[in-house]
Amino acid sequence: MRLLIFLLAAHALFADEASDFFEKEVRPVLAKNCSACHTATALGNLSMTSGEALRKGGNSGPAIMPGKPDESLLIQVVSHTHARLKMPPSGKLSDAEIGALKQWIADGAVWPETSVPKPKPGAGYQITVDQRAFWSFQPVKKPAVPAVKDAHWVKSPVDAFLLKAMEAKGIRPTTPAPKHVLLRRLYLDLVGIPATPAEADAFERDASPNALRSVVETLLSSQRYGERWARHWLDVARYTDDKLNIVADEPYANSFRFRDWVVKAFNDDMPYDLFIKAQLAGDLLPMKDREPLLPGLGFYGMSAQYQEDRPDVTGKAFLGMTVGCAQCHDHKFDPIPTKDYYSWLGIFTNTRLKEYPLANEPTVAGYHKKEKEVEELQKELDRFRQSQSRLLAEILAARIEKYIPAAYQVMGPRKSMVANVAKAAGLDEGVLQRWVDYLGRMDHEGDYLKAWQTLLADGGDARNVGEALQAEVLTLHTEIRGVEEKNLATLGGAEGNPALAKIVLLPYPRDKYVFWAGLFGDSRTGFTNRKDVRVLQYAGDDLDRFLHGLWKEYSQELKAKLEAKKKELPTKYPFLHIVEDVEKPKNMQVHIRGNADSLGEEAPRAFLSILSPESPAPFTKGSGRLELAEAIASPKNPLTARVMVNRIWAQHFGSGIVRTPSNFGQLGDRPSNPELLDYLAARFVESGWSVKAIHREIVLSSAYALSALPVEANLKVDAENRLVWRANVRRLDVEALRDSVLAVAGTLDPAVGGPPTPINDENNRRRTIYSFVSRRKLDATLATFDFPNANDSSEQRILTNTPLQRLYLLNSKFVMNQSRAFADRVKELAGSGPAAGVKQAYRLALNRQPSTEELRWGQEYLASGEPLSSLAQAIFSSNEFLYRQ
Amino acid sequence: MQTPIDRRTMLRRMSNGFGSVVLANLLGSERLFSATLGPHFPGKAKRVIFLFLNGGLSQVDTFDHKPVLQKYHGKPMPTENPKTESVTGNLLGSPFQFRKRGQSGLAISDLFSQLGEFADDMCVIRSMQTDRPAHDASFFLMSTGHNLAGRPSMGAWITYGLGVENQDLPSFVVLCPGLPTVGPQLWGSSFLPGKHQGTHVVNSEVAPEKLIPNVRNTKISADSQRKQLDFLSKLNRDHSQRHAQDPQLESAIATMETAYRMQTEAMDAFDIRKESENTREQYGDSHFGRGCLLARRLVERGVRMVQIFTGPGQPWDSHDDIMDHKKLCKDADPAISSLIRDLKTSGLLDETLVILGGEFGRTPAAEISAVVKVQNGRDHNSLGFSTVLMGGGIKGGMAYGATDDFGYRAVENPVHVHDLHATVLHQLGFDHTRLTYRYGGRDFRLTDVEGNVVKAIVS
Repeated sequence: MRLLIFLLAAHALFADEASDFFEKEVRPVLAKNCSACHTATALGNLSMTSGEALRKGGNSGPAIMPGKPDESLLIQVVSHTHARLKMPPSGKLSDAEIGALKQWIADGAVWPETSVPKPKPGAGYQITVDQRAFWSFQPVKKPAVPAVKDAHWVKSPVDAFLLKAMEAKGIRPTTPAPKHVLLRRLYLDLVGIPATPAEADAFERDASPNALRSVVETLLSSQRYGERWARHWLDVARYTDDKLNIVADEPYANSFRFRDWVVKAFNDDMPYDLFIKAQLAGDLLPMKDREPLLPGLGFYGMSAQYQEDRPDVTGKAFLGMTVGCAQCHDHKFDPIPTKDYYSWLGIFTNTRLKEYPLANEPTVAGYHKKEKEVEELQKELDRFRQSQSRLLAEILAARIEKYIPAAYQVMGPRKSMVANVAKAAGLDEGVLQRWVDYLGRMDHEGDYLKAWQTLLADGGDARNVGEALQAEVLTLHTEIRGVEEKNLATLGGAEGNPALAKIVLLPYPRDKYVFWAGLFGDSRTGFTNRKDVRVLQYAGDDLDRFLHGLWKEYSQELKAKLEAKKKELPTKYPFLHIVEDVEKPKNMQVHIRGNADSLGEEAPRAFLSILSPESPAPFTKGSGRLELAEAIASPKNPLTARVMVNRIWAQHFGSGIVRTPSNFGQLGDRPSNPELLDYLAARFVESGWSVKAIHREIVLSSAYALSALPVEANLKVDAENRLVWRANVRRLDVEALRDSVLAVAGTLDPAVGGPPTPINDENNRRRTIYSFVSRRKLDATLATFDFPNANDSSEQRILTNTPLQRLYLLNSKFVMNQSRAFADRVKELAGSGPAAGVKQAYRLALNRQPSTEELRWGQEYLASGEPLSSLAQAIFSSNEFLYRQ
Repeated sequence: MQTPIDRRTMLRRMSNGFGSVVLANLLGSERLFSATLGPHFPGKAKRVIFLFLNGGLSQVDTFDHKPVLQKYHGKPMPTENPKTESVTGNLLGSPFQFRKRGQSGLAISDLFSQLGEFADDMCVIRSMQTDRPAHDASFFLMSTGHNLAGRPSMGAWITYGLGVENQDLPSFVVLCPGLPTVGPQLWGSSFLPGKHQGTHVVNSEVAPEKLIPNVRNTKISADSQRKQLDFLSKLNRDHSQRHAQDPQLESAIATMETAYRMQTEAMDAFDIRKESENTREQYGDSHFGRGCLLARRLVERGVRMVQIFTGPGQPWDSHDDIMDHKKLCKDADPAISSLIRDLKTSGLLDETLVILGGEFGRTPAAEISAVVKVQNGRDHNSLGFSTVLMGGGIKGGMAYGATDDFGYRAVENPVHVHDLHATVLHQLGFDHTRLTYRYGGRDFRLTDVEGNVVKAIVS
């Protein structure tokens, strides 16, 4: 009995240890590398969800033989010793990982069954232990800075992590970049424009160990820094200056306040957790003075119609989670059930748009009062004109018998002049001209004008024709008006009824109506492209000349009053696009297959299940936005800090540690250097979520200062440069490109912030971040140079190289003008002489002296009779200028 | 020296690697993406002309003859009358005469009497369907394969798949004198590389320098520009040497030369004044006429896709009066028939797929809602409408699928927009399920998760 107890206890102890080993060392390896294809999908018929499943194996036979690691297929396949199978496809596992798997099989391949939750039938979505073990859901643990062989190269912890990985692959970093290249890189990266010659000279001369650091500090504290880095965030935040409206342009007057707030947040190094909270729930933060944070709510406040966009952008931007994929079905790859999507959507459907006035109460009230006065007067003028217009048309209709004979004098055999005929007959010249135009048209339908046409062809009594036509028109008019009155009664007098599409009215007889409308005017708008001459209809200002006496006086009075009131009406007071909670928040129900007519279970507003320890606790405060913001901006959240430091890294290196910055899920990339990512994420939180601190970690490293020069041996090991053994060459984005041209030409307008200006105006010299960004019709220059679609959160720019871009450099007015300005500046600074000019141009544009050959080529070019502006344009179009090395 | 990576390696990486986007940035996207992905199998068609009758062509007045509708004119629909955008009332017989045309005897109304001469080249899909009787959703679906904004357009997918044929011209050109409803998103590239987006040419202008931005330099003479480029390429080659001939830098040098040539090539291609007076008269001096003539000149020069929108907004949206179709056809019929005639004569029709149709069709019943006056027009119809395909390996002289007796609902072989897209891609040599692009964590394609090739209409 005692023995039995002992044995049982030992077994339990052993089992505990084994299962501990499995959970700590084995399951994460399987989850990270195998689960995507070998759980639900079971590629090759191999399911890796339990010990039993592995023993059973797939098409190639049993995957493991407990106790015999070397004979186990799994080990052969992951060690790449198997002749045919080499797994995983993303690259060989590390030796440590393979070692763990071997150890586990040697120890009997214990797979603790207890840790596999058996989905209860009807229990709904279950997140598996494997899913929870996925790399990006693990807490960030700050790793120790590793020791490396070549300690000299290491200038910062970042270098140690990178070099460690390179040494493991047996490669070494390439050579450092020349000083001027590094400086240019720093300027373009941090402030988006090149250094001035004076700044470049100073750096070149400064041999002190602090030279680089002091440049970095200068740049990080420059206003230009925020203008550069805000734009990166605006890509993610799908910032635009116009409303989502597919029918017409509808620019926002106040969108820029969000943009300017983001610029300031970067310049002030606003802690990133606060930056998140302000954008999600600035109106709800428990602090006295929230106003400085409110502009951040433009993150949602400018996305009116499609609230579906909000869970999507929130997930991608802050967490690198494609939550939007779960709208119609449980996420196919990541543990995001549809219910989670509707938990989030519920937060946003209980959040409504609001204008937050940046003016005092009397100003706001005063504006609305005046606006109303203008509207009232406009309505009155319209009403008066409409009634007079109708009356006039009827009066003119009763004079058809006079106008037809007059028109015959013009169009018939006599061919008299309109002016003469009108004068002689005492008729209105304008009206007669309209009759002549109308009768002369070739596309009349029906028989109404038959008598007239016969008259024209064969001659006859024009007066008779006129009288008959007039009688016919007046009868027709009465008939049409009859229908109109009945319909108006049906509508209760409300022509602007929004439900018109659902209301049935009496029809107008088609042929009669078409003829009638040609004379009296067709009130339809937008539905046809018929351009009828409306003979009898005079509207708007055209009407005025027919008004006399008291009528004229009244009309003029009304117009004058309206004009005066319009003048008095100030431009609308400034306001912020913000959001607020509704009074009584309600949960949503799951839309089955995304269909709003097919409702499923209730989805209480809550955080994502996978990022909650148990099932997520429902949010209870208002819409839940503040609770959502706190859950995202938490140091415990495994994704938030990782995602942001990766975005910063990607901007500096052209490629992230995770190459899918908005997708840290199964289908996203795996980190090329997980320890480095975690180090930076941990540093980020430690530094108080300081973005600038992460810049310093990165740009002061040896890795950042590498040249782009390839090394043959390294290319064989890592052609894609995932280990960062050299710098990546990449084209400047449109902002850096255009801003650099302006800066070098000396024409850059340094003004900060304010309403957006169109950059198709060639005189616009402001930084590109201040250009008008349209989601409806993106500016051609922005589009040509790969500016992202502003309807969607953009993960990263895809920089192309197209002929249209080159045509812009060759021929656009902007580049031509700036080349001339550049040339003028060179002349001013360098004085005369081609050599001095070429040198100065290189110093301004490329931060370096030309080589002997370049100097000679430049001089020869100028000597051949080409102007300096042409040389300047060539430098703007040169690869050294357009590409960041 | 960097070892160049061959195309196969690159494609393999793309298909199994994570961000092909990132790889594009690393290796120089131009190299990756101008390297033609290439068709999956030899396609019959090499290019596409999409004549988009924006607003919605009425099938029962043009390509879907319904004698029963004539009989029931003015009577309520004896069967169902499904909900469309607005209220509809009694059936409205077509005021246009249908005739059997060509050897095949395909029935086409007098609205397209000139185009009718090419009945034997036409395949009329009479059973088209889209998801919603709403303009924006159907515009998006027809142009991008998705009901909402945000996906790449069909033209972008096609140029992404086929690559560039003529380096000196944009591969995807959109002609519209103004903006159609919804606007540039109908030809955007969304997450596909920006070079695949359509180049919108506002064809209300005639002079090429007004059609193509920056195509001409008025300040610098041709000689001087050549000298400037020679000077520039000296600088660039030297720079590239110093950077171990980085493929991105090399490709940027080549692109500059392309742009230089494009100045001449585009000036020529976009200049319809180089056509004879007679030809221009045949096409007609209308937006549609000039558009079709331009389209012909562009496909002759290897442009992959030309998409013509009839006009700004949605001109074919004849809610109130179907007679408005007659005015539109006065321009469209001579323009389209001249285009087909010329393509046939030159033999280009064999490898050019011409698509003719709107974002949806129109109801057989008259619209009677309060927004219309004469109740002689038709509402939107997403349940059944006609799209005409010509050339590019499509069987001619046939109709595929059928609507009910009134021309309302597709009842025989329904063809969804996804199926149309699958078929278009098939003609170009693509398995539509394999023309994919990974973005935001999943593989996207033009046909989303749907689409079947309509095998019966391809030869």
